[in-house]
Amino acid sequence: MTAAGLHLPSAPDAAASGSDATQIQRLAARDAGVLRRVVDVHAARLHRIAWRMTGDAAEAEDIVQEALLRLWDLAPAMAARYPAGSRRAADIRLGGWLQRVVTNLSIDRLRRIRRLSGTDVPERMDDAPLADAVAEACEEGARARALIAALPERQRAAIVLTYYEELPNAEAAAALDMNLKAFESLLHRARAALRLAFAVQEGCR
Amino acid sequence: MNLGIKGPDGGPIPPDSPLARALALPPEAPLSAGFADRVVAAAEARPVPLPKLRRGSGWRAGRRLAIGLAGIAALASAAAATGLLRQLAVPVPSAGTVWAHLSGTAKSAPAKAAKRAPVETPAAPAKVEIEESIDTPEELAEAFRRADTLRADRRAERLRIIDQRIAGEIERRSAAGLRVPSAQEVARLRERIAAAEALREQRADARVAARREVLQRKVEAGEAITREDFAAPPRGLRDLPEASAAFERLRRVPPRERRAALQAMPAEERGAVLEEFRTLRAALNPPTTPPSPEAQPKSGD
Repeated sequence: MTAAGLHLPSAPDAAASGSDATQIQRLAARDAGVLRRVVDVHAARLHRIAWRMTGDAAEAEDIVQEALLRLWDLAPAMAARYPAGSRRAADIRLGGWLQRVVTNLSIDRLRRIRRLSGTDVPERMDDAPLADAVAEACEEGARARALIAALPERQRAAIVLTYYEELPNAEAAAALDMNLKAFESLLHRARAALRLAFAVQEGCR
Repeated sequence: MNLGIKGPDGGPIPPDSPLARALALPPEAPLSAGFADRVVAAAEARPVPLPKLRRGSGWRAGRRLAIGLAGIAALASAAAATGLLRQLAVPVPSAGTVWAHLSGTAKSAPAKAAKRAPVETPAAPAKVEIEESIDTPEELAEAFRRADTLRADRRAERLRIIDQRIAGEIERRSAAGLRVPSAQEVARLRERIAAAEALREQRADARVAARREVLQRKVEAGEAITREDFAAPPRGLRDLPEASAAFERLRRVPPRERRAALQAMPAEERGAVLEEFRTLRAALNPPTTPPSPEAQPKSGD
């Protein structure tokens, strides 16, 4: 993730858009107090996204910490790219940028786990949930997690961002670095796969 | 809840549907205690990010280019100043020539005439340097030797230019689609040129021999030969009347321009100049030599 991509169509959140540029300027000046405020404002939501993506609270915490440290590292470049008071700086959405970083880091972690699992990479991505995931879903208490985990990474991200975090499609598409049409297609396939997995789960019960 | 694409399978998930109930997750685990402190501590412990790599910008590349050009220019100037380029037969234009080309003030006709000058006058006369007066036979012999060397060089230069002009004319006619002279015609032309050159050398040898006899007698008589004596014109020319301005002017221009200037003159003036010309030719040729047809003024030479 670079300093680019800060113009996310995010709704105004706790960190007001006008103050995001100022926060970046102060982060660039190595103001640790500002970083603490950013953590207070954004960390909970970022952690929620990462946790729903990975299913592991400790892993999610690592992802959030890495995203925040990236913000700390890239703040000087961001401050130079979006100087305070400029029109571009007024459009900065720090929360959106952090969501994109966390989503990408979560997808990277999931892919790394899949590579380390030793299974062969399919030639074409199968949207249908895997049998073991469905079987796992038959166990009591893990149904939702199994349904989510059965989805491919990007479909999982689409469900997490739009269903659980209730982000608008445009903002979720930006977090996944996709255009709106492509994201809507991805979301459609994700819901269909989710329904199929749910149907299989119901059949097991 | 988000409203996305509606459809039988991929439509939005209704909140109260069985799927929505299945997707209900327990409240997420909160961030561990002291998470913010750990993030801030890790941030403060991180090394200061390195500055961006200085990849070659336009100015940096341009500066390197400028330095390279300046270096090449300095080397070329040094080579020209030390005469290295002349040794390598690389023509080095003078500063005035370069400026004339740059400013557009170069005159095409004089430049062309200057370029053709070596062709019209076969070799630029390189002066035999005589630093002091010649008053011994050895010094005179040395002076004669230098003069012979110079004459031989000039003759070789004339022959080289003749060959060059013949080849150039053949090439020009070939490029223009004109008839190219055959090998026999070229051979006949070369024979005529060789004959003319031999006659010229013969006359020059006679003049030089006569002149050298005079100089040798002067040295034997104990007289010192000055630079002016050595370079003096043949005896016959000294007896000539002062050349007119019109004659001098015509004598210094190429034959083609000379012919045009003669034709443009009034009849009286043209007659006077031609008479002056005949007088000069008669003085240059020995009295015993019958008048040659070339001496007739029809050629305008």
